[in-house]
Amino acid sequence: MPKCTIDGREVEVAPGTTVIKAALQMGIHIPHFCWHPDLSVDGNCRMCLVEVEKMPKLQIACNTVITDGMVVRTESEKAAEAHRTTLEFLLLNHPIDCPVCDQAGECYLQDQYMDHGLHDSKVEIEEKVKKRKVVDLGPIVLDAERCVLCSRCLRYEKEVTGTNSLEFQNRGDHTQIGSFQNRPIAHAYAGNLADVCPVGALLSRDFRFKMRVWFLEPTESVCPGCSTGCNVYLDHRDGELQRFRPRRNPDVNKSWLCDPGRSLYNEVGSSARLTGARIKAASGWEGIATDEAFAVIAEKLRYAGKDAAFLATPLATNEELYAFRALADATGGLLDFRVGDPQKRVREKLDEILQHTDRNPNTQGCLDLGMGRSGVDTILKACAAGSLKALVLQGPELLRAPEARDAIAKVPFVAVMATHEEPLLERAQMVLPAAMWAETDGTFTNFQRRVQRIRRAFAAPGLARTRFELAAGILKQLGKPLAATSARELFVELAKTTPDYAGLDHRGVGPMGKPLPLQESA
Amino acid sequence: MAARIVTVNRNVKQSFVPILIGMLSTLKYMLRTLFKREAATIQFPEEKRNISKRYRGIHILTAREDGTPKCVACYMCATVCPAECIYIESGERPEKQIEKYCTRFEIDLLRCVYCGFCVDACPEEAIIMSRENDLVGTSRAEMIIDRDRLMARGKVAEQGPGYRPSEHDVRRPVRIAALERLKTEHGIVPGMPERAR
Repeated sequence: MPKCTIDGREVEVAPGTTVIKAALQMGIHIPHFCWHPDLSVDGNCRMCLVEVEKMPKLQIACNTVITDGMVVRTESEKAAEAHRTTLEFLLLNHPIDCPVCDQAGECYLQDQYMDHGLHDSKVEIEEKVKKRKVVDLGPIVLDAERCVLCSRCLRYEKEVTGTNSLEFQNRGDHTQIGSFQNRPIAHAYAGNLADVCPVGALLSRDFRFKMRVWFLEPTESVCPGCSTGCNVYLDHRDGELQRFRPRRNPDVNKSWLCDPGRSLYNEVGSSARLTGARIKAASGWEGIATDEAFAVIAEKLRYAGKDAAFLATPLATNEELYAFRALADATGGLLDFRVGDPQKRVREKLDEILQHTDRNPNTQGCLDLGMGRSGVDTILKACAAGSLKALVLQGPELLRAPEARDAIAKVPFVAVMATHEEPLLERAQMVLPAAMWAETDGTFTNFQRRVQRIRRAFAAPGLARTRFELAAGILKQLGKPLAATSARELFVELAKTTPDYAGLDHRGVGPMGKPLPLQESA
Repeated sequence: MAARIVTVNRNVKQSFVPILIGMLSTLKYMLRTLFKREAATIQFPEEKRNISKRYRGIHILTAREDGTPKCVACYMCATVCPAECIYIESGERPEKQIEKYCTRFEIDLLRCVYCGFCVDACPEEAIIMSRENDLVGTSRAEMIIDRDRLMARGKVAEQGPGYRPSEHDVRRPVRIAALERLKTEHGIVPGMPERAR
């Protein structure tokens, strides 16, 4: 294990560690553009120059491997001078159009100019080399003038997606990036290009001009798009979700996120969100207070007794599933979650990068909690036979299944917890408004059996409540209230009874999730 | 503790003389106003005070030559605004050198504190202030003034604009003098990073 000294502090690192990584572990940020933790080292931007004792010239921190006894100074006079001159060089032809640039606020050029530059430009705006602006590359908008030619996007295209759609064109200070004949970026991982670009050269079409980034508040969460469970930041302002941003987790998604996942933020602010409970009366739908709705369901469940069925949803968090299971146990009815057999596809890859075929975030959690108890077929048969008196759905999946249509029609009372208005809700007798993943605390268990935290970013619209609050409300009316009142307490309860989860709590899950031993479950 | 009533002898004799003195004073000013026209007040709606050229009245959104707003929707004003009274939505312009402009620009004049920070923050001189200070409305909604109303400000033509830093920046010579003093007396050149000094 080589030992070295960085800025006067001694540190021992793994063999082969580069200076920039070792410094980052110590909390020292060495300015850089082209280095990226999940891409190969290129060393072209020359921004990360540091002074290494006994070396005649400054070295680039991203490609200098630490050797035993190395003494590195990242902020010595020589290094600082190098940072300043490199930055001045990179900014030579940069158009100062920060006021209209979406990157402003999270731009490496801006940040490092404030830290290391603060010089007056020696080049007049009129003398700068003009390049192409607002080039439409499909989901990405290219502005070649703002580019610092760090080649991050090229390396991303080569190493991660393998599509090589971007290239350097021309020479000298006329060099610019572009795609062949301006063809649009066609793969499902284009959004990462905007994230990987340290400046405003590649920007997202979807987020374009929507919001200045300094207004946004990030909440750590997990993408609910599939069983991969990519770590994300939910960027929101005033209770409105504005975008997803990948959160680096080397064991799950590295620094990446797929475009279908990114687009999910739209669902939360949708105008089709349900905001109040309603019940079907003789004259049609009627609004009902949530507490009254709980009482009605409890009454129906008491009447139904063992002739009730409960269908959980793999979109729910572990805590919500636990509360729902407690509801099923309270009446002794049938319980399952498997609509469309998602559990067989949890580990089936959709592509070689991130996505999985199972589009639910928590199928593994359903399996771990033993939600697949009775079998959907048994429930549907009981429905069709007319023996079921009440059916409680945690999500509207079963209403969407065409094969279940006739069977459901025979159940006298169907209550569904739903997030969005849809015509299929007509098949239920009662609709309860449920909160979505951005509005609830909890955990998802991904395909690797890694328990990961999701956090509430803002309140649910109207009277919508989290699914565990809905289940707890009905349980209270049944006279069997849950001891736990929050997601945190529910998880502690859950951990006591679920194998492998023992001893876990929300804090123990941590920001990167907690992997559990993987076993091939049914 | 029980309250204690105290009688204070102010040693003032009641007399009608001070009242007469007061009335004489009133009479003096009345006659002055009547015959010499030396009133301190003005006949407000008809007559207006001469307002400073740097007065911070209701905002103006300036226009380009083609009549479109100069604003590029950079949100600097909305960011700096201490009253959070500016709401902007942005859209795309066909000119690639400008790219962006405001499709909505609203100021809640009831929340505005007329500090003029928005004018200082604007990189395009797209928002300036007028000398207009008589603001009337019958509802709150009416006092939220939108982009088109901010651009079409009829009274500005007769009054001239108000606060507008680049036009008459009285602070500039002061600032230059301060910078000179920093350099000569302390050897500090602003704009250089800490460790390079």
